[in-house]
Amino acid sequence: MRPRLARLLPAALLGLAASACAAPGAPAGSTTENRSWSQITDQAKGQTVDLWMYGGDQQGNAYVDDVLTPAAAKLGVTLRRVPVADTKDAMTRILAERQAGKEDGTVDLVWVNGDNFATGKQADAWRCGWSSKLPNMTFVAPDDALVIQDFGTDVAGCEAPWHKAQFTMVYDSARVDTPPTSMAGVLQWAQDHPGRFTYPAPPDFTGSVFLREVLYSTSGGYAKIPSQFDQGAYDKLTPQLWDVLKGVAPSLWRQGRTYPRDSVALDRLYADGEVDMTMTYGPATLTKLVSDGTFPATTRVLPLEEGTIGNASFLAIPSSAGDPEGAMVVANLALSPEQQAIKADPDTWGQFTVLDTDLLSPSDRARFDDLPTSAVVPPYDVLSRNADPELASSWVPRLDEGWRKAALGSGS
Amino acid sequence: MRRRAALRARTRRQPLRTVTPALLLLWLVVPLTPLVLWAGASRWSGTAGLPQDLGLRAWQEALDAGMIAALARSGLLGVAVALIATPLGVMAGRALGWRLLRRPALPSVVLLGPVVLAPFAVAMGLDVVILRLGIPGELAVVLVLSVFALPYTTFTMRATYLALDPALEEQARVLGASSRQARRRVTLPAATTGLVTATGLAFLVGWSDYAVTLLIGGGQIVTAPMLIGSSAAGSGNDSLTSTLAISASLPPLVALAVFTYAASRRRTAAHS
Repeated sequence: MRPRLARLLPAALLGLAASACAAPGAPAGSTTENRSWSQITDQAKGQTVDLWMYGGDQQGNAYVDDVLTPAAAKLGVTLRRVPVADTKDAMTRILAERQAGKEDGTVDLVWVNGDNFATGKQADAWRCGWSSKLPNMTFVAPDDALVIQDFGTDVAGCEAPWHKAQFTMVYDSARVDTPPTSMAGVLQWAQDHPGRFTYPAPPDFTGSVFLREVLYSTSGGYAKIPSQFDQGAYDKLTPQLWDVLKGVAPSLWRQGRTYPRDSVALDRLYADGEVDMTMTYGPATLTKLVSDGTFPATTRVLPLEEGTIGNASFLAIPSSAGDPEGAMVVANLALSPEQQAIKADPDTWGQFTVLDTDLLSPSDRARFDDLPTSAVVPPYDVLSRNADPELASSWVPRLDEGWRKAALGSGS
Repeated sequence: MRRRAALRARTRRQPLRTVTPALLLLWLVVPLTPLVLWAGASRWSGTAGLPQDLGLRAWQEALDAGMIAALARSGLLGVAVALIATPLGVMAGRALGWRLLRRPALPSVVLLGPVVLAPFAVAMGLDVVILRLGIPGELAVVLVLSVFALPYTTFTMRATYLALDPALEEQARVLGASSRQARRRVTLPAATTGLVTATGLAFLVGWSDYAVTLLIGGGQIVTAPMLIGSSAAGSGNDSLTSTLAISASLPPLVALAVFTYAASRRRTAAHS
């Protein structure tokens, strides 16, 4: 039904029309917030905040609809979730609003991190200087590397942290007798046990971070890799990465001729016993997967000596947002110990908090202590021991593309 | 002798008569089977031929995701698009079908243009223009989608008018009808089938759009395709995605069935 062919004459005409109108002075992206918090909460009352977020995560949707939205309503703010297939759709709309000089745009808040945040920052499309002044930021450790930088881009008050993720390898202890202890060991194990291991194909989020983990491993640690993209370093470091991945490919599931399309597809292979290991950015979900019988009860987390990559995702307010005060109130609410604790419960969403529980009041700290402990997943501070930082977002597409050229199709 | 030959021809045609609809049905049903199975499954792992657990959990999830409101919005959007694109398509189709234009090439290309455009490309170019002009998002979505629907209505109506003899209208004029009466009472009734098809196509353009509704509408109208698209983007949602897809296919299918039934009744009524 939907025609999708080349863009022809009318598209060219539209393009002309669009470029013919000169861009008027758009609202500046870097505004400093001089109002007091009570002024902001007063102005927020009655506002409707449109939160644009990736809609493919059912638990995330349910958390926002059933927990965050009612809590925002109590503060006089209507929260409306706009589900998108890809955060890039939100970026497209924001950049259009910015280009048109809108100040009452329809995107008020975005669940974002990495590349999309960097793109918006380059285009001066984020409202900045606000997140560091949120009252609940006092519970975030000021020197927390995951919160100061987002994939190598300074956060600079342009987004409020929402939750943390920690890359984690997972294995079935009934099938893996001597679990490896390093990424090199994992790849060696894969070669020793043909057909029992695979990873999602980058640019899937999880497949892509696995690729970076292997790069850290083949390069001798993340410290050897410049955090901002560097062509010289890429040319020097990646040949060994591709060699290792091409070497292991014939031993992968289906001889490396094909890869799972994303981490859920890999999880399904693991659940069906087709492979013995899986991997995830959200290890807190494992508890539920084991308890509902999707994953075997013998599922365990595989700690790596060299540590694994951790990152955080954020809530950002576009400079064109029509209801920025409401958006700030929602971002602050989402950062509250209560919301962070509810969200961290695997039965709700299972996302690690960005708060430093040492900074909390005893009663708030108890919320986190009371979270169900898991026989499968160690607590976050154990998981994130030796946590490695992410590379700059500019590395990510280059590595994904390099993998497609070098490693894909190299299976036998 | 002749009768026997005709009989033989008919018996020879008989298997074809049953085979063709059967094949057509297969063509429709086979791709839909996993969709229907998924909608009734609560667990179905890759290695199993059939779902392990049946259940209607996905339907509950679809309701929670706001499926009914989204379907209503999609329906309204489809109707609005059909209301604009169909009359315009009738006018354009009449002009092209009856060769009322001296140089039909340029209008044809302009009208056909939107079919070859990717809605995403257009939405991305047009959103800035529409924002600058200050056109409300909802109105802009309807207008842009009507432009996308216009080629379908125009060319359906063009084919319909090509099959109609302009003399019919002239005859009515000769018999004393005004040109408006002739069009309304004589030509349009004769073109009903084409008109229904054109309306249906225009409706579907509004009903099934994702890119224009999201980017030009600014997320203010959350329609069924947006729910389907965002659910399909994450894997592991197969049963929810299938449920949403089925709920979005049912209304147009039911409408199609009703129209087809009504049309066939009309035809038999006309014959008797």
